[in-house]
Amino acid sequence: MADSTPEQSSPSFGKLLFKFFTSFKLATIVLVLMTIVTLFGTLAQVEDGLHSAKVQYFHSWFIADSMGGLPILLPGGLLLMLILFVNMTLGALIKVKKRWKGAGLLISHFGMLMLLAGGFVTWAFSTDGYMAMYPGMSSNRVESYRNWQLEVMPLTEDGKGEKAWILPSDELQSIKSNESRSYESPELPFTIVVNGFTKNATPIPVSAPIAANAPGKEIDGFKLSPQKPSKEAEQNLPGAYVEFRPEGGGDPVEAILWAGSFRFDPRENPMPFTFEVDGKKYGALLAKKSWTVPFEVQLDEFIFERHPGIATARNYESRVTRFEEGQPEKALEIKMNEPMRYMGYTFFQESFGPSGSQPGDEMFSQFAVANNPADQWPLYALIVTGVGLGVHFTIMLISFTTRSRKKAPAPTS
Amino acid sequence: MKFPRHHFLYFLTPCAFALTGCGDSGPSGSEIVVREIPKAHREFKLVDTSRERFRYQTREQASAQNEAAQLGGGPQLVWDVPEGWEEKPAAMMRDINLGFGPNGEGECYVARLPGAGGGLAANVNRWRGQMGAPALTPEEVDALPKKPLFGQPATFVSVEGNFSPGMGSQETKENYRLLGLILSSDAGAVFVKMTGPRELVDANAEKFDQFTSSIDVSMN
Repeated sequence: MADSTPEQSSPSFGKLLFKFFTSFKLATIVLVLMTIVTLFGTLAQVEDGLHSAKVQYFHSWFIADSMGGLPILLPGGLLLMLILFVNMTLGALIKVKKRWKGAGLLISHFGMLMLLAGGFVTWAFSTDGYMAMYPGMSSNRVESYRNWQLEVMPLTEDGKGEKAWILPSDELQSIKSNESRSYESPELPFTIVVNGFTKNATPIPVSAPIAANAPGKEIDGFKLSPQKPSKEAEQNLPGAYVEFRPEGGGDPVEAILWAGSFRFDPRENPMPFTFEVDGKKYGALLAKKSWTVPFEVQLDEFIFERHPGIATARNYESRVTRFEEGQPEKALEIKMNEPMRYMGYTFFQESFGPSGSQPGDEMFSQFAVANNPADQWPLYALIVTGVGLGVHFTIMLISFTTRSRKKAPAPTS
Repeated sequence: MKFPRHHFLYFLTPCAFALTGCGDSGPSGSEIVVREIPKAHREFKLVDTSRERFRYQTREQASAQNEAAQLGGGPQLVWDVPEGWEEKPAAMMRDINLGFGPNGEGECYVARLPGAGGGLAANVNRWRGQMGAPALTPEEVDALPKKPLFGQPATFVSVEGNFSPGMGSQETKENYRLLGLILSSDAGAVFVKMTGPRELVDANAEKFDQFTSSIDVSMN
């Protein structure tokens, strides 16, 4: 997208490549394709939901779609933005002639590159999850909205566990419903065999008529009935058929694990499938993928105000205390549009529950917890771009007024 | 013709923002990883049966809930029994169980399942299959009429034919009619199903509407 340079008589491959990637035509084609992808991606949100459409259209290298029954293959948002980044870096920053007159555009292009780079860093390195708690509860654990992992833990007789053996979500969720995969750990006296994972499922008692159509095996009077994945991925409740094969032989233990046994409310304790191997009790469950933050947050008070006479929320905010080893505890407020930012994590006041709660009911507060190294980059990028455009318009204005003065005829006396 | 370069902004801003909000953290990879459970999350609820683990109500929970509801401690289903209909003893998987007709050959019940209960289309076609009717496509199922149930639009099914109830029964009842309502959501599914000889069901169709409109949840 820079000014053209004189043609070479026999350009090398490198020069041709440079010419291609700095071409203004390439930038134009990429922008047109971006417009099409943005249109398709926006329309797809109606059918597929926000997350799914984002992954398919903007976080992808290629998009296989169809229009009126005709298959279409388009470059994905990720590929287009990468090409544009290269094009702008080479063309608008490196190849372009550096003149004072073009200083504003140079700055604004740099801002645009920052915006693209920020998008990439967010896509590649950010994390997002949530933390929900009732007043008095504290936690340092963040749970994923959409990803589920298989956890196996030794349990005491009264249901306490200190360590969990985890089959990570990216592995578990890649298992197809008709596929079996085995996993071993030197510290576990059994092999874990996952005999199929279903993204969204409901366990149905075999006594229910609909169970006759469910394809899976009957275990303990239940079958796993696959459901159409929800548009909103966080509403899916996956299920899996799992087998625990003791190392020393003996009968395998079979179970259906279902995400609904985890928890719907912060006060609930998850309900694992329990079994014994070598006289030791174990629990297994599908749990939300989780990770910890390097400090603990305690909810001291949740303030929830409703509009008079109706149940709709008018305002809600949380008073919390942040605990960190070796640091004094700090009391804070987290409100709508006033998040808590600390150590690279941002706690937003996201929602509340339980659903259908009435005035006077005790309620929990839910925080969206994001860790994004490029959190503020879009703001900086827009400031830089704005400044660049301001400089450019000022230079243009000065240049225009100077030219006008020169051209103006001398006054006649 | 030159394209003003600063116009890129209009395209880039939404596209770059679309890249945000995808990440996740925590353990990843294809191997089992071991992790200490945070102190606040070390307690688990031990349950004896899959029924409890899958959040189906056990008999003990049902009777405790009914008792609590009667004492004003929780929600319970309420409904009006249409004139000429009678309540039948509770049965497995049925929250409300009613009968009608001179010999009690007509029946109407309400059942609930967690989740989508197998899906709307699968249940509509299961009912149609019981009446010997061909299955409908998902588009045809979506186009079925709606009637209110708990204030929500529920899919209304009406099929005539020879009724084979299944569930271990080999019997086929000729010239029957099935009326049903299915309210299916991710939070749960509610089924109202009425079957009986065609003429008897025709005569009670209005009472079916009257019954389904009366079903409600009382918070006491």
